[in-house]
Amino acid sequence: MEATGSPQIAAKIGIRNRLREFFSDVPILGWLAGAVAAVLLEQLIGLRLAWLLGLPKIPVLFGFTIILKKPVLMPSAMVYVLLIYALPLGIVARLCAAPANRLAGKLIDVSMPGAVLLHLLLLYAVLHIWASISDYRYLTLNLTLIFVIVTLSLNVINGYMGDFSCSHPGFIALGAYTSSVFSLGLFANDTMFGEALLPAVLGPFLFPIGLVLGGFVAALGALVVAIPSFRTRGDYLAIISLAFMFIVKSLFENLEFVGGPRGLAGQPNWANLPTVFIWTVVCIWVINNFVRSTIGKALNAVRDEETAANAMTVNTRRTKILAFMFAAFWAGVAGGLFAHVIRYVNPAMFGIQQLAEVLAMVYFGGLNSVYGSIVGALSLNLLSEMLRPLELFKWIVIPLLLILVMIFRPTGLIAFKEFNVKKVIQPKRKEV
Amino acid sequence: MKTKTVAMIIPIFLILGLALVACGPEAPKTIKVGVNAPITGDIPKVGEGSKFAAQMWLADVNAAGGLDVGGKKYKVELVIEDNESKAESAVKANTKMITEDEVLVIVGPQSSKQAVPAGEVANNYATPMISPWSTNPATTQDRPFVFRACFLDPFQGPVVANFVKDEFGFTKAAVLYDVASDYPKGLAEFFKAAWEELNGPGSVVSYESFTTKDADFSSQLTNIINSGAEFIFTPQYYNEVALIVQQAHQLGWDKPIVGSDSWGSAETVQLCGKDCYGLFFSTHYAAAGAKGATKEFIDRYNKEHGYIPDDVGALTWDALGLVQQAIQDCGAITGDIKKDRQCVRDSLARVKQFDGITGQMTFNETGDPEKCAVIVRISEQGEFEFYKSVCP
Repeated sequence: MEATGSPQIAAKIGIRNRLREFFSDVPILGWLAGAVAAVLLEQLIGLRLAWLLGLPKIPVLFGFTIILKKPVLMPSAMVYVLLIYALPLGIVARLCAAPANRLAGKLIDVSMPGAVLLHLLLLYAVLHIWASISDYRYLTLNLTLIFVIVTLSLNVINGYMGDFSCSHPGFIALGAYTSSVFSLGLFANDTMFGEALLPAVLGPFLFPIGLVLGGFVAALGALVVAIPSFRTRGDYLAIISLAFMFIVKSLFENLEFVGGPRGLAGQPNWANLPTVFIWTVVCIWVINNFVRSTIGKALNAVRDEETAANAMTVNTRRTKILAFMFAAFWAGVAGGLFAHVIRYVNPAMFGIQQLAEVLAMVYFGGLNSVYGSIVGALSLNLLSEMLRPLELFKWIVIPLLLILVMIFRPTGLIAFKEFNVKKVIQPKRKEV
Repeated sequence: MKTKTVAMIIPIFLILGLALVACGPEAPKTIKVGVNAPITGDIPKVGEGSKFAAQMWLADVNAAGGLDVGGKKYKVELVIEDNESKAESAVKANTKMITEDEVLVIVGPQSSKQAVPAGEVANNYATPMISPWSTNPATTQDRPFVFRACFLDPFQGPVVANFVKDEFGFTKAAVLYDVASDYPKGLAEFFKAAWEELNGPGSVVSYESFTTKDADFSSQLTNIINSGAEFIFTPQYYNEVALIVQQAHQLGWDKPIVGSDSWGSAETVQLCGKDCYGLFFSTHYAAAGAKGATKEFIDRYNKEHGYIPDDVGALTWDALGLVQQAIQDCGAITGDIKKDRQCVRDSLARVKQFDGITGQMTFNETGDPEKCAVIVRISEQGEFEFYKSVCP
């Protein structure tokens, strides 16, 4: 190895390279096995280990909250994270690499959907066990997954289509209110909508209908924006869509039967982790297929040069409206889930602040990339929870991070990268 | 390669063994009280007021050597969480305080749009919660574990209507309110109903609205002036109050303008200046001319933080006082958090005639206090002067 800098830096690079080399042939299946081991270990001995290290409880978000609140406990929290997460993950992943590679290869040969399903089951198991430690984790995870859907759907417009739309909070609001009215009106004894019309037992089974209904209403709203505004592009669309967001907010503030500015409360608790997880997976799957289909490619063409795309027989108008409605649909579904997790909706929730957050997630994660949206939503959501003890300074740290990302990676962390499921789960053998 | 793996596994087993031997920490000797406040976001002043009041309360408890429960002294720890003035953040903060920090009782959130969903969480986890400032009935409705420290709008609306009727003998009212905000809208409706009951239908001659963050009210005010109203009732927040009053005076309005408890902020007079002198509003307590414990609190707060506390600070102080009394009434802290929370909730529900700095409180069966409202006059020095007390 060439030592270009000081010996210390060289050693650091050496360690990193060696680590990368060491784990290079671990497939995703191996990592998932490692993660299962880590969360199981936490379930079994996490609390005792935390006590042993002098921590009051299991560090809930990888020790960040504890470190920021009581810096004295920093070594303990780091040791905990190392012992419970890092080491078991690394060791099990490494040890399982060979069998996992064989298994992954065989599974893909036998049946691709089966292989994907196994991976998803393992992923769900990891999340479920991790979240079962504390209800705070559970809630944070649920909301984070919902924001993955929102970010991904906005990326379809702002990333793949290359327009700047500001109406997402409006679509989320439409979905949230529609599904709230659906579940409160049909299944709950509510002061606003009277007696339940259907037995509550049916509720969780018909809940998806409410969500899809919310999605359709949001898509209809998108059509209302799309028809007048797609004659314009760029700044004009941004302004029209921003206006739409305010119109929706105003609409709900003035609609008495959904509570006006007081909002709607008491939605049934149906958006549990499995439900949210399934919807998130379905959303990622559908959107990933959508953007890799001919329509997705047409969208990219529209983004790069609309006139040229038109000349190449792409029906740009139809493509844009379709993509816009499609994105709005998923925002509506996410809104429905959101309303049933928080169990309260209020027009003021869907304002400029939410817009700023969602836009930040899209641009932080990366444009034109399914990976990017997942990473953006996950990192910003978890970060804002982890930095909670900083209070006001949180709003200095997070924007600073955003600025740094924009300087060093102007299109976001992981932009313009295709999400290929097969590539992700295939075995990784070292080429000998 | 192989030796490396083995070398990595050995420490794991060692730690496994150690961990199984280790035993849990002893039963906690501290009582944790959660505060869910909007420290960042739209209304940071409100969050600051709640935080300062809570810290003053903690200083008092610490000065006494801890909280005395059944003859034993317990240390008190405050867990202050920022809810960013957002509903989902308030829900997260409550969940975190209840499940992670294991607080015994929560004070906050202040605004209804956070208190309604956060109250649901507190009630689900059977943790007592007192919202000092939330006026939405849904906050405490059907939630045995949720209480509030302020009076409700259905009470405040008639208070103002009766006061104006008795004081001035007017018959024609005008209302100007923010249609997009929960609190002004609710209060405007209750006032209208009360006024029309007193003076017959049609006695609210002008009922004008605007939307949050509007800054120009001239068209609404012109309508009001032309309607022949004898006074304006405007249940708005301090920044809008200043604009409304100043613009009204510029348009030639010289009759009274009456407000509600949202006027009760130090900023009102600062922003509004001379225009607001001599106006009346209903609120929880009057800072100028206060006596006893109220004066003590105000002077201390003023000395420590450099301004007269808003009613949020005073109400938070009272909520913490209620918490303290409820914990002491409990008699004993068992260390079993579920039992203790239930016990605190039960003794909160039993609170009778608690002497707070914002008046005497008794909780009714929904968890709302029965307490008196105060009519305040803004004096020629810009102070909030006690004028009259109105009890239910």
